[in-house]
Amino acid sequence: MPGTTSVPEIELIVEDIGGGGGGKPPAGGDDGDGAGDGDKRRRKQSPSPKRYSTAIAIALVSILMFFMALASAFIVLRRGSDVWVTVHLPPILLANTVILLVSSFTLETARRRLTFPDPSGFRKLWLLTTGLGILFVAGQLIAWRQLVAQGVYIASNQASSFFYIFTGAHALHLLGGVGALLYVSFRKSDQKNISLSTAAEIASYYWHFMDGLWIFLLALLYLGK
Amino acid sequence: MARTLFSTNHKAIGLNYLWLALFSVFLGLAMSLLMRIHLVWPGIRFPFLSGSTLERYAALTTFHGSLMVFPVLTAAPQAGFGNYFLPLQIGAREISFPKLNRLSFWATAASLLGLTIAFLVAPEAGITIWIASVAVFSVASLSNGINFSVTTLDLRARGMTLSRLPLTVWAWFINAILSTLIFSILLAASVCLLSDRLLSTHFFPLNFLAGQPASFVANFLPVLWQRLFWFFAQAEVYIAMLPCFGLTTHLISTFSRKPVWMERLVVLALCGVGVFGFCVWGQHMFVSGMNPFSPLVFSLLASSLGLPAAILLISWLGTLWNARLQLNTSMLFAIGFISLFMAGGVSGIFLARHDLAAAAVSDEFITGHFHLVMGVAATFAILGALFFWFPKLFGRRLNESLGKLHFWLTFGGVYLVFMPMHWLGLLTHANLYSGSGIAAIAAIVAPVRAFITVAAILLVIAQGIFLVNFLWSLFRGQQVEERNPWRATTLEWNVSSPPPADDFGAIDPVVYRGAYEFSVPGVAEDFVPQHLAPEQVVKAR
Repeated sequence: MPGTTSVPEIELIVEDIGGGGGGKPPAGGDDGDGAGDGDKRRRKQSPSPKRYSTAIAIALVSILMFFMALASAFIVLRRGSDVWVTVHLPPILLANTVILLVSSFTLETARRRLTFPDPSGFRKLWLLTTGLGILFVAGQLIAWRQLVAQGVYIASNQASSFFYIFTGAHALHLLGGVGALLYVSFRKSDQKNISLSTAAEIASYYWHFMDGLWIFLLALLYLGK
Repeated sequence: MARTLFSTNHKAIGLNYLWLALFSVFLGLAMSLLMRIHLVWPGIRFPFLSGSTLERYAALTTFHGSLMVFPVLTAAPQAGFGNYFLPLQIGAREISFPKLNRLSFWATAASLLGLTIAFLVAPEAGITIWIASVAVFSVASLSNGINFSVTTLDLRARGMTLSRLPLTVWAWFINAILSTLIFSILLAASVCLLSDRLLSTHFFPLNFLAGQPASFVANFLPVLWQRLFWFFAQAEVYIAMLPCFGLTTHLISTFSRKPVWMERLVVLALCGVGVFGFCVWGQHMFVSGMNPFSPLVFSLLASSLGLPAAILLISWLGTLWNARLQLNTSMLFAIGFISLFMAGGVSGIFLARHDLAAAAVSDEFITGHFHLVMGVAATFAILGALFFWFPKLFGRRLNESLGKLHFWLTFGGVYLVFMPMHWLGLLTHANLYSGSGIAAIAAIVAPVRAFITVAAILLVIAQGIFLVNFLWSLFRGQQVEERNPWRATTLEWNVSSPPPADDFGAIDPVVYRGAYEFSVPGVAEDFVPQHLAPEQVVKAR
């Protein structure tokens, strides 16, 4: 499939001051041409990597809306219930939280290594981050097992339903993030559509968002007690 | 066939969505006929409607509504026409993420399959399958929304500033943002509902009500579902309508040979519709027992939707004023949209008043309202767009005589079907309040319902004219020799019909002006295409 047309990253989109009536296209651009035949004979351009940043920003808003819908349902039911049965949150959740926070730190350190450049340092820290992410998910599964051992299942009461749904949905999204980290780790170096630093940057947005989201969900579950 | 079905090309995917919508709309029409016939002549038995009539009728209504709202009204104007023409109109060669686009289409197709299976199986399994299909459709719409947003923001051609975007693109873009926000809510609600059914959780539990205090039962559980559902569903009607606003504005301008009147205000009005769509969910919950001050707030907000609607209407009328109208079929459908949108919209202002709505109307009034404004008006915009873009899609023209016949029969028919419903709604409610018995009310409404049903049958038969026109023109329609038969200004009319695989060939387009440069003083032609360089514009003598 041929590449897409794109606006070059360095070009400013100048608003049409004259109301759009026959004006020249904006000056500047990757070849420095002004208006005229040079502009018209513009060859096909490769897709802009900016689209990945835009996509992840919009996707994160969408994911946020999903969790806000669940959170608002939690708040409505919690406030309205006189017979809310509290779920005693397993202490391992705090350890999982620390693991996730550390993984954000290692991820940022990995990205800094890339700017040195220190590719091997980047790779080690990046894989460490991936490992910590997997450890977090494993910790969540342990938390689930601990609750099951106490006889608290997803269907036991509303509080337990929300606990499992919150943690399950978050873990699923985090596994998606783990997939993204693995993609960055093992992508072929000759992929031209997006550089390693851009891919790492976009993955980091998602990872830090998952971090922040987990803090919010944990706070909600604790306050709901 | 396999290459088209599994293609990542935005044009192939757009066409696939349109085929899906075409299939769905005729299936949905068939379901509506079954409903109307059963309502008026319940003695007529259909094989697959036997058994528990109430449940089968509910399944029929759900299936009809799901088909029309999801694959037809949500997917066709947005994902169908949008996929095909958004990249072309902004000068991009492809959508931003083609493989995600293909995934979105196949998720939509899977959702349609699920909705159909849900109708055919027993209710218990059917309801679960339906909810899962809706969840899958939500994911498809979310992905599509992300794709369209990124494409519009990052893949515009050189010179295609935001102020030069065609209004169709503005509408698709605002709609895409709205979709990414709203379908997350529906997905969350569907996940909770599925969880209740499959995992016995207690998000919306009916069996959990035993043992709860009466106030809890009355106020929170059903209202929670209503809040989640209507927060999505009210914005969903604007998701269905926004592309139609863009399409209508575009067609009106093109076939009036005039620029869009108050173009920037129209863009603001489209944004306003999108924003307001978030704020008015409570207008469906006036009698749900929520805070007594809430209906006042939601009434005010819902009534305020009249402001962006008025701006759009004034723009359309201002564009049509003193114009040299080209009353081809496409333009007729665009003008028909204005009529239907006004007719349905005016009853919407009435329904926005919580005191009036509760006191004066029954459900049939509301059915008439939303069918006019959301069902048929949107369908008119889709048909107008199809007549407009058919030459570009297939390199042939639809037959204008058959098109105009189809238009007039449909235009008259929809008023005959849906306007009496408003009257029935007022009549039924008034009689119930006055203490009339069910039999007395039935004696009054039965003839009107029969009239509506006969009109609906004739209306659906009239759609056969469109089907014949469409299928015949696909293979035998008059071939279009020129690239731009409508003398339109946007970029898609500068490429061959149908467009080549990479849309624009070896050279990227450059944009020099806005999308509605019609009847420009001092120019020989009555239109100036967006891609034409200033030195190429022929001046008038």
